[in-house]
Formats: sequence, C-alpha cells, structure tokens
Amino acid sequence: MNTLLFNLLTPELILADAALVVLIAGLIPFTSSHRGMILSLTLLGGLLSGAWILTHPANYSLFGGMVVLDPLTQLAKVAVLALSLIACVFAYGSTVKEHFAEYLALILFSTIGMMLLVGTEDLLMIFIGLELTSIPLYLLTGYLKKSSTSAEAALKYFMVGGVSAAFLLFGLSLIYGVTGVTSLRELAAITRTTGTDPLLLAGIVMALAGFGFKVAAVPFHLWAPDVYEGAPTSSAALIASGSKVAGFLILAKFLTFGLAKTSGSAAWDLMQAGWLPLLALIAAASVVIGNLAALSQRNVKRILAYSAIAQSGYMLLGLTAANANGVASVLFYVIVYAATTLGAFGVVAIVEQRRGGSDLDHFDGLHRTSPGLALCMGIFMISLAGIPPLAGFFGKFYLFSGALGSVASVHDGSFGLLWLLIVAIVFNAVSLYYYVIVLKHVFVAPADDAPAHDRACHCGVSAFVGLLALAVVALGLYPNALLNPIQNAIRSAVANPAKALVAQP
Amino acid sequence: MDFLLIALIPLLPLVAAGLTALLKREQKALSATLVIGAQTVACVLSLWALLLAMCADNGEPGLIHEFVNFPWLTFGHETLKLGLLVDPLSGVMGAMVAFVALLIFIYSHGYMKEDRNYTRFYTFLGLFSGAMLGVVYSNSLLLTFVCWELVGLASYLLIGFWFFKPSAAAAAKKAFLTTRVGDMGLMIGMFWLYKAAGTLLFYDNGAGCLEQAALATMAKTLVGGLALSNIIALLIFCGAAGKSGQFPLHVWLPDAMEGPTPVSALIHAATMVAAGVYLVARVFPIFAATGTHSISLIVVASVGAFTALFAALIAVAQNDIKRILAYSTVSQLGFMMLAAGVGHPGVAMLHLIAHAFFKALLFMGAGSVIHGVHDEQDIREMGGLRRFMPVTFVTYSIGMLALAGFPVLFSGFWSKDAILHAAHLWPVSQLPFYMATAAAFLTAFYMTRQMAYVFFGQYRGHAHPHESPAVMTLPLVILAAAAILMSLPATPAWPAFEEFLKGEAAHFSLEGLTEPGFLQIALTSTAIVFLGIGLGWLIYGRKPLGAVDPIQTAAAPAFRALANRLYIDEIYDATVIRALHGFGSLAAWIDRQILAGIVSAVAALSFFVSAVSNGIDRFVINFGFDNSCNALREYGGAAASCEGGRVQGYLRLIALGTVILLAVIGWLLV
Repeated sequence: MNTLLFNLLTPELILADAALVVLIAGLIPFTSSHRGMILSLTLLGGLLSGAWILTHPANYSLFGGMVVLDPLTQLAKVAVLALSLIACVFAYGSTVKEHFAEYLALILFSTIGMMLLVGTEDLLMIFIGLELTSIPLYLLTGYLKKSSTSAEAALKYFMVGGVSAAFLLFGLSLIYGVTGVTSLRELAAITRTTGTDPLLLAGIVMALAGFGFKVAAVPFHLWAPDVYEGAPTSSAALIASGSKVAGFLILAKFLTFGLAKTSGSAAWDLMQAGWLPLLALIAAASVVIGNLAALSQRNVKRILAYSAIAQSGYMLLGLTAANANGVASVLFYVIVYAATTLGAFGVVAIVEQRRGGSDLDHFDGLHRTSPGLALCMGIFMISLAGIPPLAGFFGKFYLFSGALGSVASVHDGSFGLLWLLIVAIVFNAVSLYYYVIVLKHVFVAPADDAPAHDRACHCGVSAFVGLLALAVVALGLYPNALLNPIQNAIRSAVANPAKALVAQP
Repeated sequence: MDFLLIALIPLLPLVAAGLTALLKREQKALSATLVIGAQTVACVLSLWALLLAMCADNGEPGLIHEFVNFPWLTFGHETLKLGLLVDPLSGVMGAMVAFVALLIFIYSHGYMKEDRNYTRFYTFLGLFSGAMLGVVYSNSLLLTFVCWELVGLASYLLIGFWFFKPSAAAAAKKAFLTTRVGDMGLMIGMFWLYKAAGTLLFYDNGAGCLEQAALATMAKTLVGGLALSNIIALLIFCGAAGKSGQFPLHVWLPDAMEGPTPVSALIHAATMVAAGVYLVARVFPIFAATGTHSISLIVVASVGAFTALFAALIAVAQNDIKRILAYSTVSQLGFMMLAAGVGHPGVAMLHLIAHAFFKALLFMGAGSVIHGVHDEQDIREMGGLRRFMPVTFVTYSIGMLALAGFPVLFSGFWSKDAILHAAHLWPVSQLPFYMATAAAFLTAFYMTRQMAYVFFGQYRGHAHPHESPAVMTLPLVILAAAAILMSLPATPAWPAFEEFLKGEAAHFSLEGLTEPGFLQIALTSTAIVFLGIGLGWLIYGRKPLGAVDPIQTAAAPAFRALANRLYIDEIYDATVIRALHGFGSLAAWIDRQILAGIVSAVAALSFFVSAVSNGIDRFVINFGFDNSCNALREYGGAAASCEGGRVQGYLRLIALGTVILLAVIGWLLV
C-alpha cells in the first residue's frame, strides 16, 4: 500500500524533495551566492519529476478518486510543470535578487499544489489542491519586500483569495450535504437521478464564485490587474500560466465530469436552470469588461491582466459546449494561452530590467534595440488577438466552433449560444486595438535614447522566450501535435475511467 | 527505416536558411558555414537514403516504396495527410540534387565573395535547397505542391537577386508569372485528383493515388470522351511544362539568366527545371493508367520533341554565353520529356541525372569564364581563352563533349542514345525520333560554335583574362569527373540505372550492345555528332572570327529570326499581352462611354441622396459613431474603475456577483 502510494505520487514527491534541497542550498553560504546553481538544482528536480511522469504511463485511481493518474492528468501535469519551470528561469533574470532559493522553493510548492489539483476527482482534494496552489502564490506576489505595490498586491490577493476560498468551501459542503458524496464520478451518478435540486444549484453558484477567482473571471477578477502589476514579473507569469491551466482543467472536470446532468441550458430562447446559464453569463461579462477595461491601460502588465480576464471569458465560453470536445478545446486553448502569456511576461521581464519599467512607453522602439525580442512580442500579441496562422487563432476557432456545434446539434432550429458567440467575436475585434497598441510602441514609436539600466544579455530568458514564440508558431502550423494527444487523453478519461486500486490489508 | 532522418534532409537547409536570415550583413563567414554545413549533412543523409533504396528488399519482385504518412489537417470527417517517400526514384534524384547543390554552394563562396548581400544569397540558396529536396522526398501531391511553390518563390528571389538591375527584376517577375500559368493547371489537376481518388498520397498500402485501385477508377471514368486519368495527367503536365520550360511556357528560362551564375547552374540547369521531369516520372502511373500510348503521353512526347528541336535552333544564333546554355537546357529538357512521353521515365531520369552534372559543369564553367573576363557575357568579346584559363578550358570541354553526346566516353552519349532508341521504338509515330535526331545534330553544332568563339582564336576583348580561384575550379573538376563516370551505369551492356528504377537487379551482359536497333542508332548518332562538330569547326574554327557571324552573312533573314528567338516573346506581346491590354481598353471604353452615362445619372441621384444623407450623417450617424467610440473608451475607463484600489470594494463586488448569480438561478427555477 505504502509503496503503491509512493509510486503514484512520485513526481510530486520528487518536487517536494527538490524544494527542500533548494531551501537547504540557500542556507549554505557558498551556494547561496550562486543563483545559477540554485536554479540548476530547481530545474534538475523539475526535469526528473517530468521524466518520471513521461516514462510511467498509468491509469489508476486511489482513495475513490482522490488521486487519479490517467493520460489526461499526466498530460496536464507535464504542461503545468513545464510552465512553472520556465517561470523559474524568468525569475533568474528578474528583479528577485534576495532569498532566491526560497523564491524558487515556493514556486515548486505551488507547482505541487497544481499537480495535485489537476490529478484529482474529489471535492475535498480539489479544495486542498487549490489552497496548496494559492498560498505560495500569495507569498510570491508579495516577495519584493521593499516595494509597496508588491505588498499591497499580495494583501489584496490574499484577502480576495480568502473570501473566495470560503465561498468555494461553502459551496462544496452544500453539494456534499445534498448528495452525500465527494467523488466526482459518484456525484455524476447521483445527480443523474436527483436532477436539479435548488440547494445543489446554490452550492454550484458558490463553487463557481471560488473557481471564478482562480481563473479571474468577472466579477471575481478585481485582484488580477493589481497582482499582475505589483507582483514580481516571474510570479505574475506563474499566476497567469501554470495556475490558470490547473484552474481551468479542474473547473472543466468539476462541471462536465461531475455535474453533467445539472447543466441546464443557456440557449437564448430555452434558458433552463443549471450551471450553463451562469457560465454563459460570467463568460459574457468577462469578455465585455475585460476587453473594455484593457483599452484604457497604459501599463503592459495591466493590459495583460485585463487580456487574461477577457481570455478567461473565451475559455468559459468553450466550456459551455458541455461535452468532451469542449473540454479538449478548452485545454488546448488554455495551454496555448499560457505559453503565449508566459512568453509575453518574459519579454516584459527583460524590458523591465533594461529600461526600468513596464509602461507602454518603455517599449518604444524595442525593434531597434532588440529585434529578436520585438519579433517574439509581435508573435505573442498577434496570437493573443487570434489572427491566423498562429496557435491562438486555432485555439479560438476550436473554442467557438465547439460551442456552436454542440448547441446546434442539441436544439435544432434554435439560436442556441449564438448570442454569446456574437458578443465574443465583437469584443475580440475590440481586443485587437490594445494588442496592436503594444506592437505600435514596439515597432513604430521611435526608440527612446535613455541609456539602458542594465546591459546584461538575459540569455536564458531570451532563449525561452524564443522557444515559446517558436511553439506558438509551430502549434499554429500544426495544431494536431497538441490537439490529438489532448483528445485521446480525454477520450480515454471518459470511456476508460481509471481503475480503482484497492488498499491491501 | 528511420524517417526522422529523411525529414532532416529538406529541413536542415531550411532551418539553416532561417537562421542565416537573422544574421547581420557582415557575418558572411558564419552564414556560409551554416548553410554549407547543413547542406553537407543533408547530402550525406541523401546518399544514405539512396543506399537504403538500393539495398531495400522485401523478398518480392517489383518496386519498393518505403513511406511514412502522418495526418496534417482535419476538417470535418476528412483528414489531409502528408508523407515522405523513399524509393529508387526519389533516392537518385535526392542524392543528385543535394550533391550538385552542395558543390554550387561551395562555388558561390568564390563567385559572390564581393557581393554586399552575401548572407542573403546564402539564405535564399538554403531556402531553395530545402524546398527542392521537399519536392523530391514528398509522398503527397499536396506536399509536393507546397514545396513546388516554395521552389518557385526561391527561384524568383534568386533571379531577382540583383533587383537593382531592371532587367533582373523583370526577368524574376516573368519567371514567376509564366510558371504560375502552368501551376494553375497543376493546382486544378490536384483538386480533381483529390476528388477522384480521395487522397493525394502517392503510396498508402494500396489506398494511394498512384496505386492500382485509384488508377483503375480514374481510367474507367470518362469525362468528355477522355479518361479522367488522362485529363488529370495533362493538367499536372501543365505545371511540369511551366517549371521545365517546355514550349510554349519556355520564355522565362533564357531571361532567368539575369540571376547570378551559380543560380543559373543550380536552379536553371541542374535542379529546379528538372523538377517538372521528375514530377512526370513520379506520377507516371497516372499518365500510363490507360496504357503506355495514352493521349496524355502522346502530348508529352510531342511537346518534348518539338521543344528539343525548337530550342536547339534558337541556340544556334545566340551570342550571350549563358543564353546559349539556357536554350540548350530547354532543348535537353525537351529530350527528357520525349523519353517520358514514349513510355520510358527511367530513360528520362537517366538523362536528367547525366544532364544535371554536365550542365551544372557548363554553367559553372561559364561563370568562371565570366568571372575571368570581368563580367563580359558576349562570346564575340571573348576568344583564345584556353591559354589564359587552362583548367576551365579542359573541364568546359568535357562538359561540352558530354552535352554534344560525343561517343563512348561521356555520359551524354549513352543517355541521349537511350532516348533516341526509345523514340525509335515508339509505335505511334516516327516524327519525334527525327526531330530529336535533328536536335542532337544542332546541339553538337552550336556547342562547337560556342567553344570556337570562347576558347579558340585570338582574344577579342579588352580586359585581362585570368584563371578563377581554386574554390571555383575545384567543383568544376569534380563535376567533370562525374560527367564521365555517370556513363558507367548507363551503357546498354550494364543498364544498371534504368533497372534500378524499375526495381530489378542489374545484370551485366554484352548482348545489350548487340540488341537489334541499338547499334544502328548508336552509329547514326555518332555520325550526327561528328557531322555537327565538324560542320561547326568548318564554319567557326578555321578562320579568325569578327563581329558578324558567318551564318549571318550567308542567310541573314533566318539568322535574324533565330537571333530574335523566333519572335516568341514578340508574339506573346502581340497576342496575349496585347489581348489583355485590349480587354483592359475595352473595359475602360465601356466604363467611360456606357457605364459613365448610367453613372452620371446615378451620380445626380446620389448627389441628392447624399445631400440628404450628409445631413443625417453629420448630425446623426457621425455623432453616433464618434460618440460610440468615445463611449467605448469611457466604458473602458469605467470598467477599469470598478477596481478603485480599495479591497473592501473588491470583496463587496464578489458578494454582489454571487447574489446576482443566485438571483438568476432563482428566476430560472421559478
């Protein structure tokens, strides 16, 4: 039994060990001054953990779904791990200079939380995973002790996060109270017979508020701009990428695996109570408010924050398809989006170091001083705006066509979710404005003559920014490279549920 | 078989090109190292692929196609697949392309050393090589088409490399547009093939479009009295004719000589122009779906034979050293098409490979000459160069003898004989055979003329000729050796090459030499070659040459017509382009005279309407549009100001949001 548990959780355990080793290394006088060595230790741990996942394909679940190891969770774990490690590299080239080892260890702890979160099908573990993810993130946000904005952002993040967690816990306990189970699979079996119980719906609303905080959807989004701006750039990058992938995957599993029968309907003329109309409402509000508010921002990190809110709206729209295809398109899009945003934050991190800020004006004439970075930024922004042939376009295409297709097939002749799609597409057009404004500063505005603060090469960060840009282009040219594994993993999770392992006496 | 390595063959030069594109203008050494290094590896890999194709053996007789297919794009229930293919045909072609390209890349280092845009040149070369190798190893007509167009793009960029010369810019445009006319046919053929066969993969374990099931369906379907296979084959041939400079789409090839000489050697002699012949050989099963005398093959043979003779005629009266070679290339490509048309794609490929080596040799030799006499291209301004440039002279002579088909020693002799033999045995008509024989005679004649003008007699120019550096002459020597050695697997006594392409074991037998018909063909062609060289020497070799060509004095009108390339360009100007202009003028006239009246009437009405709408516009719409734009901005500000920075407000909004959601649920439940 113990060895079995050990086997199933090896990747997480490796990461935990790595975090402890990094912490200790930070205490040794010789190594603590060698940030490169600490980074290498972190990356080594991460790579070992990733290698273990890749070399041990499995299809098991433990403790009635508390720990699930199937192709889908493994794929999500690898994605989350990769994004976190790149955030570690960004941290190496960013403003975090003191207590570097502790910083990386916190990232690793948060990553463990994300991996547990994506690897469970149980309400209780979902809550624990979410908290384990969030608490290190609060610390990472407030890591710049001497910066008041960083401290303020951390406090806001923490308070909003705490209230949301309370909502989530309340919601989950309502659901447990109505059904008496915590496993998503059993929940699905029970709700198939009970139908829509008002108390269950109230629980879903509360839970949605908690998840809405995690994915920064309106009206639970207000922390995002402050945190993205105030936190160290690498922390913001992690919040925008890895944590978002984990949050969306678990939200998708929660709704489509556990509560498929209480979905209701969000079709314009056939609204029915359930989580679908709520989701549609939140999605529409996020798309509208996120895109509008981004228009008036002058800071690139804040633009990215509002863009994140709007993009959350698109992804929630993908979830309204309420079937396996919808989940696949959401997972594809969130991974692509995370890679793109991570890359954009990488560019921001370098610009911040060189020019001392991340306002739009700091990006003036970037293409003259560092053409490679400018090109990458162009790729990221255009992909976020959803222009072919980059990955962002195909992601949106799958999201929208999934949402449209599922409804059309269910209610023939109804307008279905068309209203939501129209809102999304109109405001996607609006979003082009602020993405292009960034590029205008990068490519058109004359370079500012102020001497660079820092002429270091930032080779590690640049290399990963380049790699991410390459990935965005490659996934645009050949989306099946990622979409096929995702579709196969989800198909297997639906058709061939993980085998429960019974504890040996 | 490890297809990852096969995929590397086209990818390596492509990636190297991408990397060099990022380099600065001054990083010349790095760019050349990158591209040449990548090409070297690609060349080694392609030789390995050739070896695989030679050794592959599944215990059954017949051709072996090793392929791998992978899905590329899914729409609805259809999946488009791409694939890679290694078989004798792609093995041979790929090895030749990679090898010749490598030599030319090395040679370019000497030729382009002084050019400002040296790094860009290597970028384009890498792009070209990657695309061309993609055409070769593709197992899908779609992938072939994509790479085919990339090849066209690279060719456009390289012809127009000296874009500041108006003639080069025009030539690039002409090449692109002319080949594009053919590509239209290829594209339509591709679509039709997809509709008919349901796939664009060449081989797919029985489901490919070149395999029995698809071919049988296409042969049976009749469209307007023709078998569908023939229609598709003819459409594909349009594309092949455009790329391979077949009449009437040959006009771009001589003009393309405006590009740097290594480009002419690489693209317009050895590789790209041969892509058309390769494509015909690749999809030959479609051409031959209704038998080896199908209408599509008859068209191919006729076009090929006509082009061979027609271009050879024009070559006689040209004075630009590269233009002569260009027309000679057109003519030789005609020979290859003829061979494919009479049902022997193997023979066509044999001539293609042999021709690639000696024609690259000739072009690079010409480049060496041009380099040596300081950018002079007119052969009337040369002469006696054999004393100044001994290495170039010897290697060029070998190339010339191979092209002319000088007996026994040179590869051109055997491959040309094989074509003449195949044409002779063609039961449909003997006309192509006679046309090809005449073209062979003319080939020997015009090459002798060129040799006499360039290397013999007295130097007539004003520069100081000198030999080229070793980096340029070394590839010449290697290619000269190849021009001779390529004759080994080509003789009828050891027809290794053609049987390799057919998938049969090669065997040595002297009986091939005494096969009926062969000996008399060989003797005839020998006699013709000697006649051509002799006549050429008689006219040009014996006395010192002046500014006026001896033939010009003898038959002025004919020479003038030939010198003006039989006025084909002028005919196009007078017909196609004039017609287009005519249509344009007609449309303009209709526009002005007829439509303008209506327009004026409408305009008057419009003025009235617009006066009204102007008012509405100014006071209603504009007001609305500007205001809505401003409103959007303001909403943006408002949306952003929800978060005023006070965390109490944030928490209130969360609670409010939850309450609203609960209210919605309640409302829906009631």
